[in-house]
Amino acid sequence: MTKIKTYWKGLAEFNQKPLVEKLKQNEFVEEIAVDDFLSDKNIPSTSTTRRDFLKFLGFSTAAATLASCEAPIVKSIPYVNKPEEIVPGIANYYATTMYDGHDYASILVKTREGRPIKIESNKTCTNARVQASVLSLYDSGRLKEPIKNNNIISYSSLDSEIKSQLSRISEKNGNIVILTPSLISPSTRKLINQFSSKYNNVKHIQLDSVSSHSILEANKLSFDTRVLPMYRFDKAKVIASFGADFIGGWGHPNNEGDYIKGRNPKNKIMSKHYQIESTLTLTGSNACERLQIKPSEQKGLLSNLYEYIVGKSEVDKRIEKLAKNLKNNKGNSIVVCNSNDIETQVIVNAINFELENFEKTIILSKPSYLKQASDDEVNSLISDMNNGKIDALITHNVNPSYTLQNGSEYDKGLKKVGLKVATSLYKDESASQMTYCVPDNHFLESWGDAHPTFGEYSLMQPTIKQLFNGRQFQDSLMVWMGLSDGYQKFLQVFYNNWGINWDKALHDGYFNINEDFVSPNYKYVDGFNGFLTKINKANYIEFEMAEKISMGDGSQSNNPWLQELPDPLSRASWDNYLTMSAATARKLGVKNWNVSNGALNGSVVSLTVNGLTYTNVPVMIQPGQALDTVSMAIGYGRTAAGKCGNNIGFNAFKLGYGKADIKLIDGEHEFAATQLHHTMMGRDIVKETTLADYILDPSSGNKKAKYLTYKGKQPAEEVTLWDDHDHKTGHFWNQSIDLSLCTGCAACVIACHAENNVPVVGKEEIRKSRDMHWLRIDRYFSSEMTKQKAADENISSIEMYAEMEDPSANPEVVFQPVMCQHCNKAPCENVCPVAATTHSREGLNHMTYNRCIGTRYCANNCPYKVRRFNWFKYNENDKFDFNMNDDYGKMVLNPDVVVRSRGVIEKCSMCIQMIQAIKLKAKMTGKPVADEDVQTACSSACSTGAMVFGDANNETHSIYELKKDERMYSLLDHLNTAPSVFYQTKIRNKS
Amino acid sequence: MQRESEIRDPLILGKKSYHDITRDVSRPVEGKANKYWWALFSLSLVLFGWGVLCILYTVGTGIGSWGLNKTINWAWDITNFVWWIGIGHAGTLISAVLLLFRQKWRMAINRSAEAMTIFGVVQAGLFPVIHMGRPWLAYWVFPIPNQFGSLWVNFNSPLLWDVFAISTYLTVSTVFWYIGLIPDFAMLRDRMSAKIAPMKKKLYSFLAFGWTGKAKHWQRFEEVSLVLAGLATPLVFSVHSIVSMDFATSVIPGWHTTIFPPYFVLGALFSGFAMVETLLIIMRKVVNLESYITIKHVVYMNVIILLTGSLVGTAYITELFMAWYSGVEYEQYAFINRATGPYWWSYALMMGCNVLTPQLYWIKSIRESFIATFVLSIFVNIGMWFERFVIIVTSLHRDFLPSSWTMFSPTFIDIGVYLGTIGFFFVLFLMYARTFPVIAQAELKTIVKSSGSEYKK
Repeated sequence: MTKIKTYWKGLAEFNQKPLVEKLKQNEFVEEIAVDDFLSDKNIPSTSTTRRDFLKFLGFSTAAATLASCEAPIVKSIPYVNKPEEIVPGIANYYATTMYDGHDYASILVKTREGRPIKIESNKTCTNARVQASVLSLYDSGRLKEPIKNNNIISYSSLDSEIKSQLSRISEKNGNIVILTPSLISPSTRKLINQFSSKYNNVKHIQLDSVSSHSILEANKLSFDTRVLPMYRFDKAKVIASFGADFIGGWGHPNNEGDYIKGRNPKNKIMSKHYQIESTLTLTGSNACERLQIKPSEQKGLLSNLYEYIVGKSEVDKRIEKLAKNLKNNKGNSIVVCNSNDIETQVIVNAINFELENFEKTIILSKPSYLKQASDDEVNSLISDMNNGKIDALITHNVNPSYTLQNGSEYDKGLKKVGLKVATSLYKDESASQMTYCVPDNHFLESWGDAHPTFGEYSLMQPTIKQLFNGRQFQDSLMVWMGLSDGYQKFLQVFYNNWGINWDKALHDGYFNINEDFVSPNYKYVDGFNGFLTKINKANYIEFEMAEKISMGDGSQSNNPWLQELPDPLSRASWDNYLTMSAATARKLGVKNWNVSNGALNGSVVSLTVNGLTYTNVPVMIQPGQALDTVSMAIGYGRTAAGKCGNNIGFNAFKLGYGKADIKLIDGEHEFAATQLHHTMMGRDIVKETTLADYILDPSSGNKKAKYLTYKGKQPAEEVTLWDDHDHKTGHFWNQSIDLSLCTGCAACVIACHAENNVPVVGKEEIRKSRDMHWLRIDRYFSSEMTKQKAADENISSIEMYAEMEDPSANPEVVFQPVMCQHCNKAPCENVCPVAATTHSREGLNHMTYNRCIGTRYCANNCPYKVRRFNWFKYNENDKFDFNMNDDYGKMVLNPDVVVRSRGVIEKCSMCIQMIQAIKLKAKMTGKPVADEDVQTACSSACSTGAMVFGDANNETHSIYELKKDERMYSLLDHLNTAPSVFYQTKIRNKS
Repeated sequence: MQRESEIRDPLILGKKSYHDITRDVSRPVEGKANKYWWALFSLSLVLFGWGVLCILYTVGTGIGSWGLNKTINWAWDITNFVWWIGIGHAGTLISAVLLLFRQKWRMAINRSAEAMTIFGVVQAGLFPVIHMGRPWLAYWVFPIPNQFGSLWVNFNSPLLWDVFAISTYLTVSTVFWYIGLIPDFAMLRDRMSAKIAPMKKKLYSFLAFGWTGKAKHWQRFEEVSLVLAGLATPLVFSVHSIVSMDFATSVIPGWHTTIFPPYFVLGALFSGFAMVETLLIIMRKVVNLESYITIKHVVYMNVIILLTGSLVGTAYITELFMAWYSGVEYEQYAFINRATGPYWWSYALMMGCNVLTPQLYWIKSIRESFIATFVLSIFVNIGMWFERFVIIVTSLHRDFLPSSWTMFSPTFIDIGVYLGTIGFFFVLFLMYARTFPVIAQAELKTIVKSSGSEYKK
């Protein structure tokens, strides 16, 4: 046996064997204090055993694993205490005021669970931009935090810096300028006055993107009162508008409603409206007669008209009928003009004066305050800035860099201003050049007041807590003045001092005050005759800027609803272009053509106006544009509007008016138009007649389709294989659309978007003819070729139809809103294999999205082509990066209407959710459905009363009479689809 | 034993014994594929794969990947659907109607024609599913009892009629085809060696359903063939009639036409025979069936093409006449627009290929030429595709309200899906050519002694 050798590591081991052995047993030399961190020293019994340790280990591993799994984050917070006025599922309405410097409206805001989701008209008409402004509230492209030189700064340091600088400037007697749009808020005016008493040399200057300077100054010259009169288009029998687009935005928002009031054929009297213009406007397209002139002829024609009226000269042949008509209707006519030339406006004043229109149709003693800015003041400000005379500039909701023709001068001057503060909704072209930017509150987050017209006031109240870290202009002013009360209190005190019942006024949204106004002194200016000129037509192509109903002055250009709203006349969306007549285009070699999928392409040109050249300007051939004139819409060409509004088209503000040098260049532009065909092709789609014929025979022009049967000739609705639905009992929802009253203003289209969560699809998809609009306004131009002409001249059908495709150079225009017609014998219903679209007892055509499998057969078989298919997923899809792909933008969605998924058909439901709500309300109160309650989004947005919705079984409702009216017709009645939507023939006041 | 007139041309060329026929028919199955087969198969497989990708993309992103729009909600999808369904029709006509009419010449071609039918219907059936916005819910078109409440299909909808028509058609065609295949599978089974190819032997044994060739088997075979032929015959007319009702029952000018059912059936037979010719003229070369698929067969088919083509042309002209005669301006415009509007070229292609080219068959030398027939059959296939395109797209693109008028342009996905179905079709057909007896040899053997050229001397 061999002895096992033992090796020692050292003498210590050899000598002290027991201790070494003991140490060897311990794995860790020092004891790990597991008990310390796993047990509670105060409770001795909680010492941690090995098993406990393993339990802890197991639990923590499991917990960590579970925690790392993603749980859905629900970003909703329950009410701890339910606010008394909010009942989930019930909408609250607040009266407030919309004013953004360009548009004014007294409105009702529908809020759901604290979110404003829809705007309704309260007292004034609402246009498309007002309707869409609720989406601008949720624009995540807004300025969110106060910034200094592009860095976020706290309000406390911002305020202290601004205050100290203001005091320093004030001490040095430096000039402080506050630049705002026309200020219609009396309380803000008072605040600014207080501000100027706090600081020295404060000057308040107003700047309007589209100013009425020339009219204001002309009135100053003519009548010594620098105000904008109220035009009573409802009282005028003859209207002569020289380029003034009073339906599309010129003047007061109520013009549209007033104008139509005077044109309801039911009264057997319609105003005679002449439009003398070069660019086809919405107003011009509604005119009885439209004369195309060049802008340079305007002054001469007006001079000629004046001289004729005072009996000094013969009238120009082109305006002979107009002039005679005006002369015969003294005191019952209106002459308006869009010229920005003061002399021209003085001539207009003289004409109206001679026609005795003042205080009858043109009310100067009760003026409108919506436009007050003076171009002269703005220009002197710019020169002062350039001369270094301005030390502080505080701007509020103005964008001079963008809207001023001499914006570059402004930019240059701005560099010499010491303190630059912008309170603005956006970090726009101007605000981005300022040192300090204070995010302003949207009007739906603000307190405020407005004094839009003489004697009329309206209040603004917040309908939602600020979405961002904003502070409204007035609050900022007060802080900078050292007042700590806040503007809300200031406002309330302001009106309490006037003896206004604040609560009532806030509830109503508006109130009237009897004010004294010194009637203006009607006089002629000295040397007025020197203003008169001969008609001299410029021999070059003239440029003028125009305003689009969708984009206005461009302040809401980051609003995807407005960008996608097709222009009522060109039907193009997401675009800005030069409009040109076909003849001018031919001369310049410019073309428009359709590519293989039907989409419109156009030539591009280089355009030089007033020394400014834009290249690659697309040209849209626009019937109605006068020969040798071109125009372009303002509101585009934004560079700091946000992701939707940036880099679309060109900025027409910079071009102004004047001679246009146009050169065709290589390249082409892709338009996105929702309507590619412009004429009715001789079809009975919009039925029309003249007023004279209508008075003789109310059913004139309304020829019903008839079929020859064994019983003789029968109207189409009698010839059917189907059994009728029972629509005698219960409600029978019908909508009447009066084509005589529809101006094509498209407010209803936006209202429909807001109410029904209609998705925005973007330019590329619109170009593929895939707009999702549930309600569209078809626009047709007349053509030189008619069936009558073809029959008279023996023209073959092929040639006739080919020529019918071309609209006239100065066409008559019709607008026809088309939504789902809710056919009671619906072609869509019987072709759906899964019965996803069905008929209701109440005359509506339902669409069950859940059931739809997307065969699109219904859309093919719809003769009105109102069904829309979800080609893609339009919500929460980065490819459609609009409001439905944005956490803020989604807040505008109406919770009563489902957001449709990909692959299903959707269409107008006649706002079934609104009908259901009214029916439930009636059920709860135990009263029958009240007529006035029943509305669709479109009918309630309609300022002219063209759309009337109601229960046709209710004999007291106007729809009952409208359905029996001799003007009533169903679209494509020969198909006998028996729609619940019907139209009233268009009556033109022409010979 | 049948007797056939001496002056009739023989249907089987060369000196063919029963065994020769057996060998010729089983050669493609037993032998190795040649390089032509592999080349065609690879190409088809690539196309098929591409089509699958395009379909997956469509299902993944949405129908928006196609060129459709708010006005034209069907275009290539339904064009392809109708085209493929139409192609199928010749197969059923050949195997069912010609059986009832005791046309012996069908025997050489009915197997492949019927295969073409089934593969064509498979392609056609794809489109109604993938053109849906939510194809994963396609089963909702079946009247399946469900727990969704009172949900049921809409029996008024022609699309639902399609579901029944096509599923019936596919079922009957497949059963009919299979019954005919049983004796031939048995023949293949018997030739297989269990040692060399045990799997194949097992497979064909299974497919042959225990066929032993007893007299009783033959008697039942004949009976069931007749019964199925009787069942399939009405289908030849009903399926495309019902497909045509998708259009005929609608309100769209250009669709809303009572002439559609017969017009569509004739068009279907017309295009079906053209496709049979296209396929068989290639196949007789590739798998050496020149003795069985002879110029005589081709001439017979050409005559049918000439007849149906002329009838289709008559239908076109009748449509034009009716548009004019009706006095309905929408109808008139629809046809003026077809001929002179932006899609005039597709109308011209349709007219040229479908009305003019078959008229060339009046000329004997063209009628009796394989090459000319092949070229003309391609023309007819193109023309018939465009017929459906014209009906669908040019009717929709300018319907009632000019405000909605627009046009259609296919995307590469549209094209990809179509090419994919062509690829799929040929993949199936080529696989069939290598695994199935491509000629109904059992039936063919019954006419060797009456119509074989050797016996005619």
